[in-house]
Amino acid sequence: MNYSCNRMSREQLFDWINMVSFAVVETALYLDTHPCDEEAMKFYHEVLEMRKNAIMEYSNHFEPLTLDLAGGNKGKWEWVMSPWPWEGGNC
Amino acid sequence: MSDCRCNRGMTQRNSRDRNEKCMDEFPVGMAYVPWQNWNQIYELDKALNNGTLFPELDKPFIGRRACR
Repeated sequence: MNYSCNRMSREQLFDWINMVSFAVVETALYLDTHPCDEEAMKFYHEVLEMRKNAIMEYSNHFEPLTLDLAGGNKGKWEWVMSPWPWEGGNC
Repeated sequence: MSDCRCNRGMTQRNSRDRNEKCMDEFPVGMAYVPWQNWNQIYELDKALNNGTLFPELDKPFIGRRACR
């Protein structure tokens, strides 16, 4: 299942970020007890990359989700100006 | 498969054999958890909805003895 992030609405992209973040955490927990499992490691890097792209896409198209992207690329402090993810019953 | 400390020097391959063949060598009165291996995983939307990425860990509580 691979979403291409650029044609997604805010809600779809937000949902996708939740899904892919969950997969990253689940795989990390598995790797904690199976640090040598190469298949798990491969999947971990896959979903981690997907998560990074999705969050970057969300930050560019909507607003920053994480503090490290809060400055935004337009040089103004978007962090506090944009609606919080939970506003409007989004999550 | 490189040796690694996750199985105290056992490779992933022979840790699975150890589990299957010599359960009777294990002392009685102890609890044992079979070793999980990376098999099939759920699609990401289903994983989030079911609360696990791994079908073998997907055991929803349904109020009585659950057997599929």
